[in-house]
Amino acid sequence: MNEGLVVLVRGIIGFFTLLILARILGKEQISQLTFFDYITGITVGSIASELTVDLSSRAWPHWVGLITWMALTYLVRVITLKWRYLAKVLEGEPTIVIMKGKIMDDVLKKMNFRISDVLELLRNKDIFDLNEVEYAILESNGELSVLKKAEYLPLTPKDMNIKVTSSGISTELIYDGVLIEENLRQMNKDKKWLMGELKKHGIKDVSEAFLVTLNDAGSLYVDKYQDKTKKVKDIGDYKGPF
Amino acid sequence: MRKFLIITIPIVALALFVCIMLSGTFLKTSLEHKDDFPMKIESLMEDIKNEDWDSIVTKIDELEGMWNKIIHRIQFGSEREEINDLSKNIARLRGAAQAKDRTSSLVELSEAYHHWKNIGK
Repeated sequence: MNEGLVVLVRGIIGFFTLLILARILGKEQISQLTFFDYITGITVGSIASELTVDLSSRAWPHWVGLITWMALTYLVRVITLKWRYLAKVLEGEPTIVIMKGKIMDDVLKKMNFRISDVLELLRNKDIFDLNEVEYAILESNGELSVLKKAEYLPLTPKDMNIKVTSSGISTELIYDGVLIEENLRQMNKDKKWLMGELKKHGIKDVSEAFLVTLNDAGSLYVDKYQDKTKKVKDIGDYKGPF
Repeated sequence: MRKFLIITIPIVALALFVCIMLSGTFLKTSLEHKDDFPMKIESLMEDIKNEDWDSIVTKIDELEGMWNKIIHRIQFGSEREEINDLSKNIARLRGAAQAKDRTSSLVELSEAYHHWKNIGK
């Protein structure tokens, strides 16, 4: 029995099974994970590692365990999407910890949360003075959402009655020196127009551009392979080489 | 076409993984007559009961050769412990046969058969 070969094959099985199942499960971001999602992730990872290297048992039971955990996670997600009450039971719900500037001590006690934890989360939001806070809500993923008092909110163009136009989303027209014609058509532009614009930036050929994007307002961003920056700022602490 | 491939490739991959993981059960069965492990055990049992020691030693060699070939086929879908235990049984069977110990030979052969049945389960 070639143990190395068996581990290699089992590793491939574990890796691609996880990859396929993770794609099926969806695009939930790490920051959106609840505590239970986090535990599920650790368990699934642990099962996958056993599937790969634990040769004292067959791969099949581990694989079934992996599929079971992923299937149940998917099932719970589908149920919580359709049944709001169960979603609140399983994932918890947001809790107001500061209301109208007052700290809800009873709520904090009930959640086993210290005020120092709240202060830390506030500091993460660049808030160092409790006087600035109108409402603070502890989300089910452990993050704190804060509504500042009106006098501390940043000034917006609307406050100043200034009309602004939306810049929209920028679309890549050239990526790594390659023209993406599909995106160009989508933006109702043609190659002739693009070459004219690139010429203004001193680019004669598409291959000279590293990245070119266009936003809905018609503003073009151009980055060349050969940037003219002579002195590049070094933010590293050590000379290297790394 | 792309959508078809995006759906088909994962399904085919998962199906292939399942086949590999369950391969122990069906790959241990004989692909040809000279690969028939249970038949060889049965034949050895008969010889041990008749105490035909010359034939037993030859058949143990054949059994070991057969087993070494089977290991390559079943290694991806079987427990290492089960494979190792069966290999040990064959080694001990050889010793018992050399000592012409009928009881120990039957014990080892019987245990080897038990491990054989458990492979892939």
